[in-house]
Amino acid sequence: MFEEPFRWMEAISTRHSYVREKLRKGQPVIGVPYDEGALLLGFAPQPGKVFEVYDRIAMGALGHPADVERLRMTLLDMAHLEGFNRSAEDVTIGRLLQFGIAPAIKQNFEEVMRAPYLVQLLLAEISPRDETLFYRLNYDGYWESFTKGCVIAGDTQVMNRIEKEIDATPFATYPLERALYEACRLWERGLRATEEETSSNHESDKDEDAPPTLKEAFERWPLEAAVLSRKTTRKSLYRALAPGEIGALKTRLAGA
Amino acid sequence: MISRDTLQPGDFFELLKRSGYRLDSPVPAGQPDSRFKMPEATTVLAFHYRGGVIVAGDRRATAGNSIMYDRCDKVIPIDDYSLMAIAGVPATAFEMARILSHNFEYYRRSQMQLMSTEGKIRALSKLLKENVGMALQGVGAVSPIFATFDLATGKPSISFYDLLGAQFKVLTHTATGSGSPMIRGILEHENLWGSQALEARSEEEAATLALRLLATAAQFDSATGGARPEENLFPVIAVITGQGYRFLTDEEIAVLYKTSITRG
Repeated sequence: MFEEPFRWMEAISTRHSYVREKLRKGQPVIGVPYDEGALLLGFAPQPGKVFEVYDRIAMGALGHPADVERLRMTLLDMAHLEGFNRSAEDVTIGRLLQFGIAPAIKQNFEEVMRAPYLVQLLLAEISPRDETLFYRLNYDGYWESFTKGCVIAGDTQVMNRIEKEIDATPFATYPLERALYEACRLWERGLRATEEETSSNHESDKDEDAPPTLKEAFERWPLEAAVLSRKTTRKSLYRALAPGEIGALKTRLAGA
Repeated sequence: MISRDTLQPGDFFELLKRSGYRLDSPVPAGQPDSRFKMPEATTVLAFHYRGGVIVAGDRRATAGNSIMYDRCDKVIPIDDYSLMAIAGVPATAFEMARILSHNFEYYRRSQMQLMSTEGKIRALSKLLKENVGMALQGVGAVSPIFATFDLATGKPSISFYDLLGAQFKVLTHTATGSGSPMIRGILEHENLWGSQALEARSEEEAATLALRLLATAAQFDSATGGARPEENLFPVIAVITGQGYRFLTDEEIAVLYKTSITRG
């Protein structure tokens, strides 16, 4: 099957299409800075959208739950072993990705007889120098870094649209409540604008599963949100937002 | 690297072992070299007070008759609600504290729930059991106190251990280390016949008593270090409540020292 280079390239191309199709309905996860650190959020059809990885590292994910879990545990193992053998300050996303899971995922993706990872990851970190950093890891091992925030979404159009808005919004100056509110609004605008665009171009492509409003999303799924806060006195900067904080957000959104 | 063919129970110590780590070092058979002196000796204590538990310790590390270090922190944070006070060989004790700390955090993050108080107490017991060989050879004995706050029941908990790993939960007070025999009787006396039972005392009263107990131990045990206010050197005192652990600052202890140690 792979006796000619073309066959291999064709197989890889087919693999890209397969994975993208599988991820297409994945709910976005948004990561943005705020005035005390980083905020991650996403609606979770199944529990498990936003996780704590290490003292200063958090992760958001979309894709197949089994693959998300496998990569999450791999990151946890690597981070804790490194933190134990050296120091918590030596555990950085850059090292975990560049020398850890990114090459392994790339290799897995290019071994076309093995099942690919159906997953996209968003990682956030408060660096030892107190910078707020974001990373996006693709299913093929390709990763990018961001400072203004980033997003993962199964639909590339949605992802690009939300990402443009993140770049144009001064999230790093916002307090948590405002950053949370604006990120939710951004989620809604990104999905609705793309849906309207798609349905006006191709009526038959209209995705009936896409939630057009935040209200409907809240009725359908729980919102998972967490922060990495530089202001905490605890060793671990991660904190999942309390039900009260999510409730206050819902009230504010309902009144808007 | 990403192939994971075994189930993960969330045990960091098992993960360490799979990575080639071992807590105990192979020691050649025969008697240990008696000329080789390990830094050890201490006084650490813990007791229940009105708001939670208080854990305190002196700062001295000795090797035989030599004072090796006078700013040793023997009360070590394990997680947001747990502290371990160490007596014995510091190298092994610090290593156990690091394993324990990573173990609790790894469990919480991987299993997405807190480890139970019973599980935390057992985890230290397991490490001590793994270390029995070193303890029996005289080069790695550790006698710790583990204090934590059980969020499920809303109650604090104190346990002490023997060298083999047996765990003993105490309802009032405990102390360990070479200076502990000097103060255990005082603790019992204070609890039974003092102005009020230990568990009825305020944080300030509890901290005052802890300071006085450590000063007493330092008076009679050469391996327990006393405070030296002129050098800003004080014992370590921490409390655990429903809000987590908190170490008293040197400034707080300095104020307390002035009013509690000198007869007014």
